[in-house]
Amino acid sequence: MKELLRLWSLFRPYRGWMIAGTLIALLTLIANVALMALAGWFITAMAVAGVAGVAINYFAPAALIRLSAIVRTAGRYAERLVNHEATFRLIAELRVWFYRHLEPLAPARLQQYHSGDLLSRIRADIDALDNLYVRVLVPVAVAAISAVLFFVFLLLHDPLLALSGLAFLLIAGVALPVWSQGRGQAPGRRLAEDEAELRAAVIDGVQGMAELTIYGANERQSERVNVLGRRLIADQARLSSDHGVTQAAVGLSASLSLWVLLWLAIPMVHDGTLMPPQLAMLALFTLASFEAVAPLPQAFQLLGRTLAAARRIFAIVDTEPPVVEPTAPSPRPERFDIRFRGVGFSYPGAATPAVADIDLDVPQGTRAAVVGATGSGKSTLFNLLLRFWEPDAGAISIGGHSITTFRGDDLRSHIAVVSQQTYLFDTTIRENLQIAAPEATQEAIEAACRVAQIHDFISELPEGYGTWVGETGVRLSGGQARRIAVARALLKDAPILLLDEPTEGLDAETERSLMQALDRLMVGRTVLLITHRPAGLDWVDRVLVLDNGREVARGDSKVIPEATQGALLRDAAGAVA
Amino acid sequence: MSVNAWLKSHRPLAGAALKRTIGFGVGQGLLAIAQAWLLALILNAVIFEGAGLTEIGHLMAVLLGLFLVRGVTVWLGERSAFQAAALVRSGLRDQVFRHLQRLGPRYLANERSGALVEMLTKGIDDLEGYYARFLPAMTLTMILPVVILVVVFPADWVAGAVMLVTAPLIPLFMILIGSSAQSKNQRQWKELARMSSHFLDVIQGLTTLKLFGASRREADEVARISNAYRSSTMQVLRVAFLSSAVLEFFAAIGIAIIAVFVGFRLYGLVMPLPEWLMALPEITYLQGLFILMLAPEFYAPLRNMGIQYHARMAAAAAAEQMIRVLDTEPEARSAPDANATQATATEQAASGHTQLQAPRPFGLRFQDVHFSYEEGRDALCGMDFDVPAGARVALVGTSGAGKTTVINLLLGFLSPTSGRILIGEQALSDLDLEDWRSHLAWVPQQPRLFQGTIGDNIRLGRPDADIESVRAAARRARAAEFIEALPAGYENLVGERGAGLSGGQIQRIALARAFLRDAPLVILDEATANLDPESERLVQEGIEELAKGRTLLVVAHRLATVRRADRILVLESGRVAESGTHETLSASNGIYARMIAAYGQTAPGQADVWNPEQENDR
Repeated sequence: MKELLRLWSLFRPYRGWMIAGTLIALLTLIANVALMALAGWFITAMAVAGVAGVAINYFAPAALIRLSAIVRTAGRYAERLVNHEATFRLIAELRVWFYRHLEPLAPARLQQYHSGDLLSRIRADIDALDNLYVRVLVPVAVAAISAVLFFVFLLLHDPLLALSGLAFLLIAGVALPVWSQGRGQAPGRRLAEDEAELRAAVIDGVQGMAELTIYGANERQSERVNVLGRRLIADQARLSSDHGVTQAAVGLSASLSLWVLLWLAIPMVHDGTLMPPQLAMLALFTLASFEAVAPLPQAFQLLGRTLAAARRIFAIVDTEPPVVEPTAPSPRPERFDIRFRGVGFSYPGAATPAVADIDLDVPQGTRAAVVGATGSGKSTLFNLLLRFWEPDAGAISIGGHSITTFRGDDLRSHIAVVSQQTYLFDTTIRENLQIAAPEATQEAIEAACRVAQIHDFISELPEGYGTWVGETGVRLSGGQARRIAVARALLKDAPILLLDEPTEGLDAETERSLMQALDRLMVGRTVLLITHRPAGLDWVDRVLVLDNGREVARGDSKVIPEATQGALLRDAAGAVA
Repeated sequence: MSVNAWLKSHRPLAGAALKRTIGFGVGQGLLAIAQAWLLALILNAVIFEGAGLTEIGHLMAVLLGLFLVRGVTVWLGERSAFQAAALVRSGLRDQVFRHLQRLGPRYLANERSGALVEMLTKGIDDLEGYYARFLPAMTLTMILPVVILVVVFPADWVAGAVMLVTAPLIPLFMILIGSSAQSKNQRQWKELARMSSHFLDVIQGLTTLKLFGASRREADEVARISNAYRSSTMQVLRVAFLSSAVLEFFAAIGIAIIAVFVGFRLYGLVMPLPEWLMALPEITYLQGLFILMLAPEFYAPLRNMGIQYHARMAAAAAAEQMIRVLDTEPEARSAPDANATQATATEQAASGHTQLQAPRPFGLRFQDVHFSYEEGRDALCGMDFDVPAGARVALVGTSGAGKTTVINLLLGFLSPTSGRILIGEQALSDLDLEDWRSHLAWVPQQPRLFQGTIGDNIRLGRPDADIESVRAAARRARAAEFIEALPAGYENLVGERGAGLSGGQIQRIALARAFLRDAPLVILDEATANLDPESERLVQEGIEELAKGRTLLVVAHRLATVRRADRILVLESGRVAESGTHETLSASNGIYARMIAAYGQTAPGQADVWNPEQENDR
């Protein structure tokens, strides 16, 4: 129920469309019922008149029949157009709305979600909301209004007929939807989850196929896809069978309503209290009136899926971002000194802090390195400085302004990052570079790539900068991707540069050329490097050695070997034991 | 094969369920005729024969029975329609996914995962409309109207003639409108695939987008793509709505004409018709009412087929993608071989059926192997080397020298343009790939973790391994400590790309995976990157241990990890430029010696000056 109200509030901008859609749908329905009822009345009246040999005005009813036929056809077309247009506009807007809520959560709050699951939310779950609008809201409004009109119409003839007609309409339009909504809840929820899992399994199977193949796990993965697919189909089968039941039940309600009507009305005709043409009219009217309620059972059955989708969407939308954005405009720092003071942080659910009591100063234009073993908390410092997470204790400032006074995007506009894992988007090399600077000219891009030592490689490709890099950059080697990351950082031209193992996994020659590129990139910038390789750090001005999130040494690069030896060996001894 | 033929060719999968669906459809049609007749009888009796409930009570009872039977038929028909499609759907999903696996990573490099995901989820769902609705509707169109005509003609040939003339108009218009729908459906499908691929890419790269302040900009892109999908969907629907409006209109016209012909004759009115047509037969109210009530039933199957034509279009658009995948043949495993004497030259992928004969550990040999990713650009040109059984061999060289290609050839993801790869005495192209791969353990540069627990991830290559072996493998890979520190230990769930774990930790889980695999040939591609020197040294010890009794092939950039190899192969421009041990190679004045020197000079950087072994000795 809570979800329904929230969805309703999202739909509010489209109230105008919805009222229009409802009115057209109502008109269409009435035209259809009128068509059937009039036709029944018309031919019976004509036959009766023919037998009795009396005159009859057949022009007016014939014209009305034609009008109803046209209104019905045009109305149905217009009604579908209006309601679908409104729904899909709304859906497209909801996708953007969802994305705007998703974006602030990355990366901290999204770690626990598989990309397939998130894809399922923004794609399938958002799409599933259309059911509420097209099949529930408008039809329920139409059914409710028309049921009253039908009741009043029957009341003009006989109260008993009216009551019986209404009773069967209520069975088909209320009891059946309630039943199928209850039945649809559990399968609907499972469908939403299984669809997400199926997407995740396919993504795992496709993007991880090389490893699955080598480890002989392909068979298991396809079995997983198969099982999930069958589970999905089993739930759909259950829904479909229920749908068959309700469809049959709606038909049966209409038929029984007709049957009872005949049972009640035939004696009236016999008594002469009801005219024969009216009997035919009422019979066909009764059958046609069920069109008003016929779509409701399925709509309410799908409500389970819709509400599950809504819950999955709201779960993301309601997640608090890990950092609170300030409302005031971000400061415009004139200097770019980095300062950590007493910074401490634990990841949610972790037993021990990731970092504790960190003090670090990197004055503008200088270079500092944080050295430590894997898992010593180095990356955490970057995450905190980039405001992906908020420290539990202490403060971080840039140029004297606490980073909490910056909006995340403004803060990150001052920082360029070259990390060991470069994400390349499934687009051209040029567009991958333009992420850093959308307005960059071809000259600027080439200049950056020359510095990054990647221009020659790119220009040798048949399509040059227009080459499609493929998903997650599968067509480029690790070293090439890294150099593209350097070019991106150059294009971004930010005063602060964060380096995360920029040369890890590169061969000596590539590493050397990359370091030359980095050398030029670092000129005049404030540089912070994190590394687990304590060697060759004489180019940095200061070093901080971390172990288990705490400082163990600081100074110039000479302090490293002994300090790290102590820390690393103790660590290793623990691991072996 | 055309899309249509392809869809039809999968009809046997739907099998008996499809026939049942059609049977129930025919049953419903016949019941409708009976019902119309009964109703006409009742109304006629009441209106013209002054009958009361007592006279028509038995008819009312039969009518009630008909209603019930009809209800049951509707339900059964719905069920079997779903079953018919369900059988095709689960069969096809499996078939397409397995075919993707056969095509392998090289094919996938040119595909977008998001689009494949849509194909295997929504695309498969879209097939339902074809098998559950369109096919039965099409068959029923050929049966039910004919049955009704057979009933109507004896009663009143005028009405029958009206039906006969108006009926073909419906499919005609449907086809006219439908012809433009095909391309619109294809466009809609493309927009959907694009939307999904784009979203997946954005979700996976969201952190990068944020780093560049591009994630807000991206919202505009999301809006643009969503709107493009919306407008392509609406285009499809507009055609569908229009065609169903036209169908309805024709049905209404048909019914109206019949009503007029019936009504006017009942009234005995002189029709404004030419003389020769005036000899219209007389008609009773009973016949007239019966025919009027049958008229909607006559047009209903035709209308329904028109509506389901839309489902056929959607299915065709989805099917087209599947056909594209299924029609792609796995790449030939052994292309024409320059010096091949055996008959493997024209064999197709996975066509090797031989089991690996060589006892473990086995050696391997590249004989003049050439390979090119694209015409005219050789990645390997005459790769010649051998790896003795049980040896530890390192591949070094700059990026682009061909190291990764060598590995991909060995893994069976690529096959040589010419030349041979021998495993023991057998050609790799003769081996059954699955069997061959069961002898491999491999750690790629960027290992991927799969949905599931850490334990499952380590068990990837040996799903039945007990927890003790898993622990042992993790200990060897120096992963045990951090795994056991996690709240749920080996039962801890991990996401793809090991969300929440550091690069070094993922690397060690992947190593543990390789350790547990217990394969005679171990291939490590930069397996110790992302590790700090101390962890690396310990992992290196684990690898040394692992290497006992196994053949080890290591790609390494940091030369420290190479030092202890039995043989070092220095690759350059797709060839082996030098080979030897660390001592011999560094003494000679070749590429390797220069590389060592390069590391020495690397500055500023994290070069390999700091040697863990020496430090340790102190």
